[in-house]
Amino acid sequence: MKRTLAIVLALTMLLSLAACGGGKIQTDPNRLVIWHDKEDAVIEALSAYLEEALPGVEVVFEKKTSLTDSLKLVGNDPNSAPDLFIFAHDKIGVFAEMGILSPITGLLDEGVLEDYLDMTLEAASYKGTLYQLPLYFETLMFMYNRRYMQDEEVPATTDELLAYMQANTGRGRYGFVEQHSTAYYSAAWIHGFGGSIIDSAGEPFTEPEAVKEALRYHLQFVELMPGETEYATVNTLFLEGKADATIGGPWMVPSARAAEIDLGIAPMPVVDATGMALAPYSGVQGIHVLKFAAENKAEAVKVLLDALTDPQVGVSMALASGCAPANSKCYEDPAVADDALVQAMRETAQIAVPMPNIPEMDVMWTVTSNLLTDVNLSGKDVDSAFDEALKEARNLIANMK
Amino acid sequence: MKENVKKKKGRDWLFSYLWSAPSLLLIGLIVVFPILYTAYISLTNMSVYHWFDYSIIGLSNYARALFVFDSGFLGALLATILWTAVNMVIQLVLAFVLASLLNIQKLRLRKLYKTLLMFPWAMPGYVSILLWKTGMFNTQFGLLNQWMEKLGHQAVRWLSSDVSAFICCTVVNIWLALPFMLMIMDGAMQSIDKSYYESATLDGATWLERTRYITVPSIRPIIAPAVIITVFTTFKQFDVIYLLTQQMGAKTGSGLHTILTYAYENAFITNNYGYSSAISIIIFVLLILFSIRYQSPEEGSA
Amino acid sequence: MSRKKLREGLGLTALNLLFILICFVTLIPILYALSVSLNASNRLLSSDFSFIPKSFTLDNYLAVFTGEDILTWLKNSIFLAGATVALSLLVAIPAAYCFSRRRFPGRRLILRWLVLLNSFPAILSMFAVYRLLRPLGLINHRLGLLIIYTGTMAVFSLWNMKGYFDTIPVDIEEAAQIDGAGPVQVVTKIVLPLARPSIIVTALMVLIYVWNEYIYATTFMTGEENYTLAAGLYALQATEMSGSWPVFAAAAITVSVPVLIIFFLCQKYMTSGLTAGGVKG
Repeated sequence: MKRTLAIVLALTMLLSLAACGGGKIQTDPNRLVIWHDKEDAVIEALSAYLEEALPGVEVVFEKKTSLTDSLKLVGNDPNSAPDLFIFAHDKIGVFAEMGILSPITGLLDEGVLEDYLDMTLEAASYKGTLYQLPLYFETLMFMYNRRYMQDEEVPATTDELLAYMQANTGRGRYGFVEQHSTAYYSAAWIHGFGGSIIDSAGEPFTEPEAVKEALRYHLQFVELMPGETEYATVNTLFLEGKADATIGGPWMVPSARAAEIDLGIAPMPVVDATGMALAPYSGVQGIHVLKFAAENKAEAVKVLLDALTDPQVGVSMALASGCAPANSKCYEDPAVADDALVQAMRETAQIAVPMPNIPEMDVMWTVTSNLLTDVNLSGKDVDSAFDEALKEARNLIANMK
Repeated sequence: MKENVKKKKGRDWLFSYLWSAPSLLLIGLIVVFPILYTAYISLTNMSVYHWFDYSIIGLSNYARALFVFDSGFLGALLATILWTAVNMVIQLVLAFVLASLLNIQKLRLRKLYKTLLMFPWAMPGYVSILLWKTGMFNTQFGLLNQWMEKLGHQAVRWLSSDVSAFICCTVVNIWLALPFMLMIMDGAMQSIDKSYYESATLDGATWLERTRYITVPSIRPIIAPAVIITVFTTFKQFDVIYLLTQQMGAKTGSGLHTILTYAYENAFITNNYGYSSAISIIIFVLLILFSIRYQSPEEGSA
Repeated sequence: MSRKKLREGLGLTALNLLFILICFVTLIPILYALSVSLNASNRLLSSDFSFIPKSFTLDNYLAVFTGEDILTWLKNSIFLAGATVALSLLVAIPAAYCFSRRRFPGRRLILRWLVLLNSFPAILSMFAVYRLLRPLGLINHRLGLLIIYTGTMAVFSLWNMKGYFDTIPVDIEEAAQIDGAGPVQVVTKIVLPLARPSIIVTALMVLIYVWNEYIYATTFMTGEENYTLAAGLYALQATEMSGSWPVFAAAAITVSVPVLIIFFLCQKYMTSGLTAGGVKG
């Protein structure tokens, strides 16, 4: 009896203690918490710069795995949510509709965005409102291993690529590999044929014939690639010299350099049938402001955003980890101008399509991946698989509301 | 003695609840409350578009959810039942045989073997699954295909067809779950009074007879709770199937679905919490209906 | 006699061989990870994989211990696992004992429904748990995780120990009561020693659950310094750009070793007090 009482008492005390202890609200107006899930090099460059530029504001970077899921959970509850977060632009629609994001136009001085690449600003806007200050962007690029593919062999068109693959695939080696059955990678092909996964109004696969054409054409390539579509496979094949070329993002570059690969970067091949280049998605990484912070810590947030528009930020991030800055002024820096990787990404930015940032895109990743695996890996008929995917997409989008 | 117990009964039950209160309170908070909360959300229109300003809209989420229960769902339901049955049978048989062998008196290295067999359990699940997926099943550099090649066979795409994905997932699931079952069985077998066996052996009972008339009846009540809980865990297994065959960006092309992975792809990804909650509640009710059949045997022992 | 011994010896050898084989087959994925983590050449595609690395290195383990906050994570994991095991046993033993020994209204109903409720797919529980812990200020607080973990394992703990208590003959307790022992003494002096295997199994189960849980840990805790081992490892592999297979394999092995040691040490206590005490039912 006594023991029971003791236990119950102890538990109640623990709970109430915790309630008091954790209940403090972070209202220090000069302390800003930023969530991110980026590599350490990027964040180190950022925080080193901010420490110097903003002595009056305490900026705390907190690394958060599964950042978007956590944000959905905590919303803009000032007790648990950060003040700002750094993430790709493709979740802007979700968070804006949830009502936890603050528009940032009012927090910026006029004219500071003039030098930003159009593509990045387009990506950062949802329904005509700017919700993100772009920092840098990533796109897929055509990469090759000079040991196996000579510069003059680099295919300018997709037919040339196919011919190269046919000549160089076999005996455990591949002419070209990519994550062929994932939406992110195949978007480049769909765009190259003039199709799209979803348009800005939330209508899926607006050009059905273009998508089907892309799927059929791409299937010839898939047959010459491994029957696996995941990152680890593609990455390992390229890094261990078993594949001559690949389409990959900038994140592959450090490991390729570490593996002592003589890495070449080339423009995306052009689709012979349409004359358009494979146009990959671009992801614009930038900083978002939560409503609570915009309302209660406006001064500190303004100072921070202002500091982040300085081209010096982009330059130091580009040099630290090969990001392509969103501010075009950064490319005037001689060290950045010399960086082939960063320059190549800037070139790709001309054709790259920002990932759709509308909430409906969330379900399209799955629908498109299913369509691709159905066609590429399970050998289903393109037409019927497409019709099924379209129906599925409409159904899921309807169920979002 | 029994009368004594009866007299105390009236006063006792309050004490019983007091003693159990901390445990029941925690269960109430972490297990029961989320179910009630999910049931509540299932009656609202909470979604990305109504995140804070959601309101009760009645049963319309359920009406909509019924459309998910199409042929695809039915297939997934059958697959789930088959999955649960196959996994449980293999697990129980393997664990029983291994535990019996481990309990042979003269086996000196028993402790070492047991510890080694526990290894799969000591790793976080997703780590093991990743290890299997990339280390074993990968078509390019997985160990299985390296061996296939050495034996002069073609490389196999282990996870891309329904049947072979089912088998692979089962292997991984059993690998993950066996240590627990083995430990429970082993613990139960050790609690059997050895003198039963001695007298049975003297009476000339064979190993099979001893197993049937002593081991099985003795361990049944002890392992029953663990087995029942494992049945449910297997039924709602998500990680193994999802991570091996359906993870975003790493789909393998198999169409294998259990009801949970099916619900995930057809509802949870919509971010419509009201709708997803309705589906969760329906699946939960289905689970309860199924489990009513499992109830009777342990009820007898309780 | 000697022939019998010979036969016995042969049988034992066969049994040992069988177990060596079984252990080997079970451990293939782990041996693979071990080999990858110890191999200096860092290649997965080399077609001549062998379980014994050709060029041996400890660099990957060094990278695990120096590159990441693994010691902090280890500390967090040990603290959380220890606290959860203690709290779980503290609340579950009295409850399990009552549900096993006493008869009271609602007992059957609760037992039956607990296991059903426990089967609720936890994918959506996260949100409700968040709603529950937020007003208490337990988000990003270890105490929050402690409550979640104890609550999650409470049904199992209660059921598992109750099942074992049921098999302990009541006569022993009644005999002790006649000798003048109070209810608390009966439980601590007689029932607990007899139920040791079940208590250890329950404790191990809770321990392993906490050790391996990462979803709540990554969602409710912010900042790498607050992660547990499983959460930290999850974060490591989630950022696939920096993820290196050999380091990951080394980390996986490192995480498992403490659990294995604990398991090995616990085995000695897992034999039931029933046989040791020589009391018959």
